[in-house]
Amino acid sequence: MNMKISATKEAETHLLEAAKEFQKCMQCGKCRSVCPVFREMGNELYVARGKNKLAEKLVSGDIEITDKVEHAINECLNCKTCSANCPAGVSPEHVVLRLRWYITTQKGLHFFKALIFRQLLWRKWPITLGCAIVGLAQKMLFGIGPKNPVRHLFPLFGFAKRRNFPRLAIRSAQSQLPELNTSKTATTKMRVGYFTGCAGNLIYTNVARSVVDVLTGYGYEVVIPKKQKCNGTPVLANGDYEGARRLMEHNFELFRQYDLDAIVVACSSCGMALKKEIKLFIDDSPELTEFTGKVFDINEFIEHNLDIKAEHLGQIPYTVTYHDPCHMVRGQGIKEQPRKLLKMIPGVDYKEMNNADSCCGSAGSYCITHYETAIKINNHKIKDIQEVQADTVATGCPTCVMHIADNLAQHHSRENVRFVVEILADSLRAAKTI
Amino acid sequence: MEKSVVDELVAIFAKENVLTDNEDMIAYSYDAAHIEIKPEAVVFATTTEQVSHLMKLAYRENIPVTPRGQGSGLSGGSIPLKQGIVLAMDRMNKVIDFDPDNRLITVETGMTTSDIDPIAATSNLFYPPDPGSVAFSTIGGNIAENAGGLRGLKYGVTKDYVQMMKVVLPQGEIVTLGSKCVKHVAGFNTETLFVGSEGLLGVITEVTLSLLPIPEHRESALAIFDSLDSAAQTVSDIIAAGVTPSTMEFMDNETINAIQNFKDCGLPREAQAVLLIETDGVKDSARAEMVKVEEVVKKNQAKDFSIAKTAADRDNLFAGRRVALNALASVKPNLILEDATVMRSKLPEMVRGIIEIADRHQVKVGIFGHAGDGNLHPTFLLDMKDADEKERTDKAVKELFQLAIDLEGTISGEHGIGLEKKPFLMDQIGSAGITLLQDIKKTLDPKNLLNPGKMFDMPDKVSA
Repeated sequence: MNMKISATKEAETHLLEAAKEFQKCMQCGKCRSVCPVFREMGNELYVARGKNKLAEKLVSGDIEITDKVEHAINECLNCKTCSANCPAGVSPEHVVLRLRWYITTQKGLHFFKALIFRQLLWRKWPITLGCAIVGLAQKMLFGIGPKNPVRHLFPLFGFAKRRNFPRLAIRSAQSQLPELNTSKTATTKMRVGYFTGCAGNLIYTNVARSVVDVLTGYGYEVVIPKKQKCNGTPVLANGDYEGARRLMEHNFELFRQYDLDAIVVACSSCGMALKKEIKLFIDDSPELTEFTGKVFDINEFIEHNLDIKAEHLGQIPYTVTYHDPCHMVRGQGIKEQPRKLLKMIPGVDYKEMNNADSCCGSAGSYCITHYETAIKINNHKIKDIQEVQADTVATGCPTCVMHIADNLAQHHSRENVRFVVEILADSLRAAKTI
Repeated sequence: MEKSVVDELVAIFAKENVLTDNEDMIAYSYDAAHIEIKPEAVVFATTTEQVSHLMKLAYRENIPVTPRGQGSGLSGGSIPLKQGIVLAMDRMNKVIDFDPDNRLITVETGMTTSDIDPIAATSNLFYPPDPGSVAFSTIGGNIAENAGGLRGLKYGVTKDYVQMMKVVLPQGEIVTLGSKCVKHVAGFNTETLFVGSEGLLGVITEVTLSLLPIPEHRESALAIFDSLDSAAQTVSDIIAAGVTPSTMEFMDNETINAIQNFKDCGLPREAQAVLLIETDGVKDSARAEMVKVEEVVKKNQAKDFSIAKTAADRDNLFAGRRVALNALASVKPNLILEDATVMRSKLPEMVRGIIEIADRHQVKVGIFGHAGDGNLHPTFLLDMKDADEKERTDKAVKELFQLAIDLEGTISGEHGIGLEKKPFLMDQIGSAGITLLQDIKKTLDPKNLLNPGKMFDMPDKVSA
């Protein structure tokens, strides 16, 4: 969408796009049987059908944007369980996103959100620095356990008090790793761009290292453009259409300068944003189609391209289960690839948990703003994890890792939560393949 | 709603179970029918006693009460026509007793129907009625509408499985009707009165259902026909051959094409009809039945016939049927799903009649449904924003009802009358029939406060 379009026009567009979706709703009520939020709230207002109806009333002018309307619209995980199960083919999460964007055109963006999305994420360095300071404090003061006084800092930023935090990176992945990581084999198969995502850069740096080690070890050149910024998911999910558009456009222009054969991501939401959601923000063009066609989740990319032989892999003696991140399984249709990778590792005893593809409740910033509901949703996941008696939960989304690990700790449960690519890299390292 | 009444509701149900905000009223103003009316309050019951207290309060203060399950009904049964209070039952969803020895399960009626099967399956039992909404409608709603499903021909409908129930009558008395015994003739057969009562006579809060053993084996097949008549003749011949299929699903050419446009399920676009047939029971008998089915199908010049050999095969055969409604929904912005039903011998006449009506009014209709029990789902496809198309469709629907009546059928096989079909009930049961319903209603609910204005109007205009 063109930046110069007036705010009124933008508001109209959002309502029109929402209407295209909610008009398809047959009101059958099937979403009530699958929505994780409704399961906890038990009020029709919070299920997809209720939100579609609210949208209809907003468009018809029968209702104003009240606090309760906003509250209902914000009670959505964007987990896509409703749209995956909808007999009428409605995507209620897009109704929700359009309404959030519409509400911002009417009420403006909260100054705190504007500060984060338009300033800090855009400038990037304050966040990198902030994480380094916190990371250092976490390290100096008794690790990240319950005794660490640093944990009392987090509630000041709106995080729940009892929440357990991961260790933040003192040195970000993007500063640890060079921009150009050459192939470690004689020939170079492809030149691959790596979109680290904020979490891969600032929290789970071992994931970034694993991605680079695995790909370079198998003959790929990995480029990590240092000027990459947030993909826009938390921004678009919090009602800031323009902020998200600016970030999407930036990354789109940036990665195109590097002459890449493919772009890999190790974060489910980054992948979905770069493959799909970007199309809501940038006008369709052959360049955009070419760009989105080059984006691959790391699991998908490895499973499809890398010729990993049994003798390349070392023993990893874990009982592993896999949790499907929403934006991977429903957002990108990636289900079998990570499981295949896990099952081929010698020593791994793979056990499928019940409801592996049900949302864990983290949903990015939802578990900051709606922590109590997010934990209630996650409790079902913990039950499924405990039942399967694995010692490692593998997944492919940083906020899933964060949220599941937090709640496992609250349940005094000892399972490790890790990315599939980390486990794979460990196995390849154990056999000295990489 | 007056504050004193709301306070009393809070005293009965607790604060978190009483809603009065405008936004919440919007959320409880509709179900799967096309009518919207906002209530003044919504309450969530968790015990039978609360429901009883509510009805006493309603009777004292003259407030209409409309019971509601998951709001998935297609006839508007849970819409609060006279406003007042919506009584949401979906939080009363516990299992009270599972008794495999007597093949019975007793549950609260807010339970989702498909939640019964995993429990029953632990003792190799199942609950046969499986309406399309089985995964998201409540058993209470199924009882109130006497829901059917795919297996009606062999296994009957909801009424065949209700043994005993606890009901709160409109004035608040709590009664237990029926018995857990197979044979029971003490008093009138009152429990059946409440099956299909659409929430007009009482609020069913607990029910004891009978269960059946899970059939040992299932055979599934797909038959494709070039003509409607040979498909219809096949249905009659299968029954005449002494076979009782557990499922015999029909889809017409319009539906087949909608499916193929939606997703390639391997159905030939020129086919005039397909039948999906299942037999079940002891392995040898299910197979023997399917052999007979095959003979009949071949005799009727089916274009193609395939029997599933594996579970994956069966999934493939049923792929089209599973997405039929989705596919039809994607043709136009809206659809009207009807459930007019005839005896199976009248199926060809019914199908041809529906197509003729649709052609005459220039509206699109896809027909699929349960051929074995004559329960078709003519699905009209339209854009409700197109006033002209809406009017033509309404006329076609009206004629469809008359056609069903003329063929000695019924205007509703499993969705109920509610608001959607209220204007047509008189044509089916006549004025004496309506008077009887009114008299029964008056006896139990003299003030006409429980789900008023549904199914029929009361004579004194109290309900108008």
